[in-house]
Formats: sequence, C-alpha cells, structure tokens
Amino acid sequence: MAFFAGEIFVSELLNKPVLDQTGEDIGRLKDVIISPGEPFPAVSALVVVDGRTTHVIPWNIVNLFNRRVISVTALGKNLLPTLVSPTDILISRDMLDKQIVDIDGAKLVRVNDLELGDVKGTLCLVAADIGLRGMLRRLGFEARGEKLLSLFRYKLQHKLIGWHYLQPVEPRLSRLTLTVSGQKVAQMHPADLAEIISEVSQKERTALFGSLDVETAAEALHELEPQVQADIIDDMSKEKASDILEQMPPDEAADVLGDLPEAKAQELIQMMDKEEAEDVQELLEHEEDTAGGLMTTEFLSFPLDMTVEDAIKELRLAAPDVETIYYLYVVDAEEKLVGVISLKNLILARSAQTMQEIMKTPVKTLPVDAKQQDVAELISKYNFLAAPIVDENEAMRGIVTVDDVIDFLLPPASRKKRRRR
Amino acid sequence: MTRWRKIVILLSVIGPGIITANVDNDAGGIATYSMAGAHFGYALLWALIPITIALIVVQEMSARMGAVTGKGLAELIRENYGVKITFWLMLFLFVTDLGNTAAEFAGWAASNEMFGVNKYVSVPLGALIVWLLVVKGSYRVVEKIFLVICLVYLVYIPAAIMAKPDWSDVALQTFKPSFQFNTAYIVMLIGFIGTTIAPWMQFYIQSSIVEKGIKKEEYWASRIDVIFGCFMTDFIAFFIIVACGATLFKAGIRVDSAEAAARSLAPLAGGYASILFAVGLANASLFAASILPLATAYYICEGMGWEAGISKTFKDAPQFMWLYTILIAIGALIVLIPNAPLMSIMWISQVINGMMLPPVLILMLFLINKEELMAQYRNSRTFNGIAWATVGIMIAMTGVFVVTLFL
Repeated sequence: MAFFAGEIFVSELLNKPVLDQTGEDIGRLKDVIISPGEPFPAVSALVVVDGRTTHVIPWNIVNLFNRRVISVTALGKNLLPTLVSPTDILISRDMLDKQIVDIDGAKLVRVNDLELGDVKGTLCLVAADIGLRGMLRRLGFEARGEKLLSLFRYKLQHKLIGWHYLQPVEPRLSRLTLTVSGQKVAQMHPADLAEIISEVSQKERTALFGSLDVETAAEALHELEPQVQADIIDDMSKEKASDILEQMPPDEAADVLGDLPEAKAQELIQMMDKEEAEDVQELLEHEEDTAGGLMTTEFLSFPLDMTVEDAIKELRLAAPDVETIYYLYVVDAEEKLVGVISLKNLILARSAQTMQEIMKTPVKTLPVDAKQQDVAELISKYNFLAAPIVDENEAMRGIVTVDDVIDFLLPPASRKKRRRR
Repeated sequence: MTRWRKIVILLSVIGPGIITANVDNDAGGIATYSMAGAHFGYALLWALIPITIALIVVQEMSARMGAVTGKGLAELIRENYGVKITFWLMLFLFVTDLGNTAAEFAGWAASNEMFGVNKYVSVPLGALIVWLLVVKGSYRVVEKIFLVICLVYLVYIPAAIMAKPDWSDVALQTFKPSFQFNTAYIVMLIGFIGTTIAPWMQFYIQSSIVEKGIKKEEYWASRIDVIFGCFMTDFIAFFIIVACGATLFKAGIRVDSAEAAARSLAPLAGGYASILFAVGLANASLFAASILPLATAYYICEGMGWEAGISKTFKDAPQFMWLYTILIAIGALIVLIPNAPLMSIMWISQVINGMMLPPVLILMLFLINKEELMAQYRNSRTFNGIAWATVGIMIAMTGVFVVTLFL
C-alpha cells in the first residue's frame, strides 16, 4: 500500500529520484502509467529510468509517493529492466502539452500540468491544469511568478479542469475514455462540438468523431463545413456512415452526400434504410442552392376533412420523424397545398372542427427551383419558421425550415472558419 | 484525377508557399541584394542558385509537416519536446521578430520619405493599415491581398531592364560559380544566407498551411506552391542585383542601404527605375511588417495553447490579438522615437535570429522523421541526406554570419 498525501502535480514529481527500501537510488521518475477507471483513471505503475535501463514499477510495491520522496518496497538489484508496453498510457508522454477538450467551457485547451489526487484510497488522475500557473510550475517559476505578480496585486489562480469535464482527442488515449467518452462529449451542444472538431487535426478528428454515438454524430456533422463533412464520412466505416446519414434529416443527409464523389454517395445510399434512401435520392436531384436542394421531405400534412381530434392524434405519431411541428399543411385529394394551420391554432380549436374550417388561406409558397436568396427573403419577410415548397402542379413537395437558410443570412462561427477549421 | 480537377486543387491550395517566400525579400533582404549588386556587380549572382535549393528544401519540409499533421510547428515542438524548450524558443523569437518588425517599418519610412512623405505620417498610417487588415479581414481575403502584394515585387524586373545590363555577362556569372578571397566578399555571401532562411518562415508557412486546411491528399499542389514561391523570390533578388550591378557598381557608387540604392539609381538608370525601386521597397517593407507580427502571434499562441486565427475577435483570441497589436505598435514606435537605437535593435535581433536557426532546423528534422507523426510522409533517405547537409551548411554559415556581426 502506497502512502501519498492530498493532491500532487505531475510536474513536481517528474525527474525526482526513486529510492529502494534501503534508500539506494534506483533511477529517476520518468513517467506515470495510468489505467482506465471509474470515475477517474488510476495510477497503475511508475516508469523509472536509470541511464539506459527502464524499470516499470507496479503501483503495489510503491511505498512513499510525494513531492519529497518516492520509494519502493523492494531491493533495487532485484528489479528487472522492463519495457513500457505499447498499449500503456503514460501521463507525461501522452497527455502533458497535448490538446484536450474542455467540455464545460466547450473549447480546446492545452494541458500545462496534471493533478493526481486521492479518490477513495486510490491515487487517480483527477484534473488538468490549463492555466498560467501550471505553465510557470513546469518552467520552474511558480514561486517567483507568484511573488512578481503579487506586486501587481494579481493573484495567480489555479486553473484546473476536473477529469469529468475533459475529453482527450489523441487517438492513443481513446482506450482511456471508452467507458465514459460517448456521454461526456454528448453533453456538449452539437454546434460547440462541431467547432472543436473543426479545430483538431484530421487524425484526431476521426478519433473524436468515432467516439460519438450515432445521434450526436449526426447532429454535429450537420454543423460542419461541407468539405469537412465529406472528409469525415470518407474516413469512417461505411456502416457507421450510413447509420449516421439515416439519423440525419433527409435534406441535411442530401447536403453531405452531394459533396461526396458520385460513386461513394450512391454506395452509401444503397446501404441506408429504403424509405430514407428514397427521400435523399429525390433531394439529391435538385440543385444544391435552390429550394428543392434545401428542403426536407418530412413535414406534416393532413386532408381537408380531418377533424382536429384526429389531427392531434396523427401529430403525436408523426412528430418524432419530422423536423418541425409548428406548421401543419392541409392538402386536397391531388396533394395540392390548400391551407396551413399553426400548432397554436390547432390546439386552440375545438376537437370536432375540421381542417378546412380552421386553416388559413392562401398559403405563401415557393417553387422547387426558387433561389436560396428568395427562400431566405420569404422566411425573413413573413417571420416564418418554415416555407412550403411546391412543384409545377402546386403539389406540396417539402419545406425549407428557418435553420436551413439562417446560415445563408448569418454564417455560424464554425462555417466561417477554415475547413478544418 | 482529371487534369481539370488538378488545376482546381492547385488554385485552391496556392498561397502559403508564395507568400512566405516573397516576404523573405523584405526590407533587409532588398538592402542586402542592393548592396551585393553595388559592391560586387554580378559576382554574387551564382549564389542565388544554391540558396534557392536550400530555401526549397527547408520550406518544403515545413509545408509537408503542416499538411500531414494538421498542426503548426510550434504545436508540434510543444507536444513532442515539452513546454520548456517551447517557451524559451518563443521568447527569443518574439524578441527577434520585434526587432525585425521595427526594421520593416524603418524601410517603409525611408521609402516614403523618397516620395516626400514624413515618417510621422507614413509609419502610423502603415501600422494602422497592417493592423486593420488582420483584425478586420478573414484568412481568405487577407491571403488574396497578400498574393496581390507579391505581384508588386515584379516592379524590379522593369527596373533592371531600364538599367540596361550586359545580359550575356549576367548569364555567365549566374551559372558559373566564382569566388573572391577577401573579407568583404565573404561577409556579403554569408549575409545572403543570413537573410534567406529565418526561423519565423518555417513557423509561418506551416501555420498558414494548417489554417488553410490543406490535407495530405492535396499536398502535391502545395509543393508546387512552395517551389514556385522560392523560385520567384530569388528571381526578384536576381533582378535587384542586376539593376544595381549594371549601374551603381559600374559607376563605382557604394551604397549601404536599400533607399540609398533607389536614390542613386535616378541619374544612372532614369527617374522611373528609381521610383520602381522605391515602390518595391515600400511594398516589401509593409508586407513584411504585416506578416512578421502575424507569424509571431501565431506561433506563440500555438506553442502556449492559446486560441489563434485571423478573423477572431479580441474576445475569442485575446492573446493572439494583443500580441499582434503590441508587435506592430512597438515596432512602429521604435522607428518614430527620435534617436531610438534602431541599429542596435536590428543588430541584436539578427544575432538572436542566427542563434535560433540551428535549434529550429534541427527540431524540424527530428520531427519530420518521426514515424508516428509523418508515417509514409517522412523524409526519404536521400532527401534526409540533402536536408541534413543543407541544414548543416546553413547552420555553419549562419554561425559565421553571427560572428561577423561582432566584428
């Protein structure tokens, strides 16, 4: 059983001499191996280097472990040189100075130092220091820096982020986070997640994206710039890619597929669920920057003679599959769009009233070949949440929701930036 | 891949290589080349060929690392060699780039004075333009402006033609290496190399490749960009030397600065040549005064783990924006303060520049040979030989250059 006290920073331990039970020097602490654990990864071994020999010392024979003394309950001469296994995760090698996602702050930060602490009797990796203080400590200036800054009445704060709020992006570290990673990143808003994905390198992006569940991946993918979307889909297994595409609203899936090479796109469509695939296929036939290319084919439409009571029942059933439920479109026998009802009016109406009685006419519509600009103008002018799109026979084909054109009017941060970024 | 698609990729990728290489012909570079032409005629032209090769070798490696890893050089150094090395490297590079930025503003002030514009007007105005460009612009726009600026360098070509050089002699001296055993010649030759490869360039080209989002699949196009840029840079240098060699050298006028060269050209090659020279210097100075602070702000933020990028706001990337602002403000102020020790500042910055080059180049060579970073994009055995030889010669020559600064 090792004796350790409170919190220790890794930088205070590295290169400290490690003693055996007789007080003989075994070597210097080079690194600390951690293994996956709940809720925190636990220290499992020490890497001690003496000249050219490396010892991996298991945690169970470590006796004292603090910033003054590190000692083991064994004789130095009995320890055999061992090599670090390729699957081991080394704190200093793999985590210090690397980028990591701060889930709470929703941004990428660089690890200046790492904090180890006591969690129910086990020494665990508890937090990362991302602040100036951590950097000064690494440089060996912590005390001097603190003194200097106090002259300016500035108190040097610790800037620690708990392990709960950290998500490594290094592919090598994915094993460490298998247990919790999915949920951790999923707590972030897809737009924040997309921004982070766009800021890391290609390799890290694939690793990070691979750790997401299909639903989160689909939402985050939509927020990215087209070229990045295509890259990510390209790097993923075809099965996962088609699952994610199925999860996306058809218009967004069509956008992504539209940027892929024709053969690859068709291959993925073949692998998708049949119904979804048909919708996407249809949307792909329209020009990308026209109403037809922007629209989604999933919307709520009801016949003229349906009662309010039945419509509400229908609404409950269909709602999970459609993008917006705020507008209900009323169509006649020939699928012609004849009226529209807002969700509010539907709820306020009496149950026995029919669609025809409560619907508003005429409806503002746009043809499938309308320009993106026109769609945006219509939505902005009438403050719509969605605009209905009709074909040459006035039959309803889809809707363009406000989120599909808002990017056209106000590009979000993650799209303004580079590809990658 | 169809030829058409290749052209599209090439056009979309082009930029970082040309821009970085052209900034190499900054106020200091132009002064060196003008002096080389004035003092030695065409005798140093041959040196441009090996210099171009060295420049290509080094720049290509940085660009390749950027495209393959998706990370800047400072980021890679931090991740692989730790915070201590990174911190000191960044600190020293900050000092040299501050000195260099001041030198660029001095070049801008001098060329403006040739047109009768007082430096108390031209320097604040230049600083403001440069500052606004990055603070208000986006990377795409800024890069396009930079590329247009690169075209202005071509003014040195008509200037050289107006000087009516003996082209057969020029051609002969370009392809036939010669050597003179005197101190002045050797110092000038070393000065050539000292101005050619500077540490900030490796950081800047890699960061801009990353910022542009160039991937390893498109890297072949970036390589063309890099090689073309290096050729263009030394092509311009060639015309500067020729223009000064054909006139000042023949007339026995020994100049010690770029603006003196521009002034002395008027009676020999005509007023237009003189104006073209001044325009070239003004353009190069202001261009470098923008890129140097930008490169510095980039790599410091990358190394320290702060947000960086053009089109970010002071709120998003405070350290980046402040570093950029401070470098420009101090660089411009040094030129404006009467009796500011400009020469000593430039001297110190050149010394540190020379001392920082070896660690940067060696770290680069270590990084580019790391399997886990570069995989199949590592240096080949042959290329490694060339790269180590180039780096070795560069380091030795720069070492001698630093020593000459103390003489």
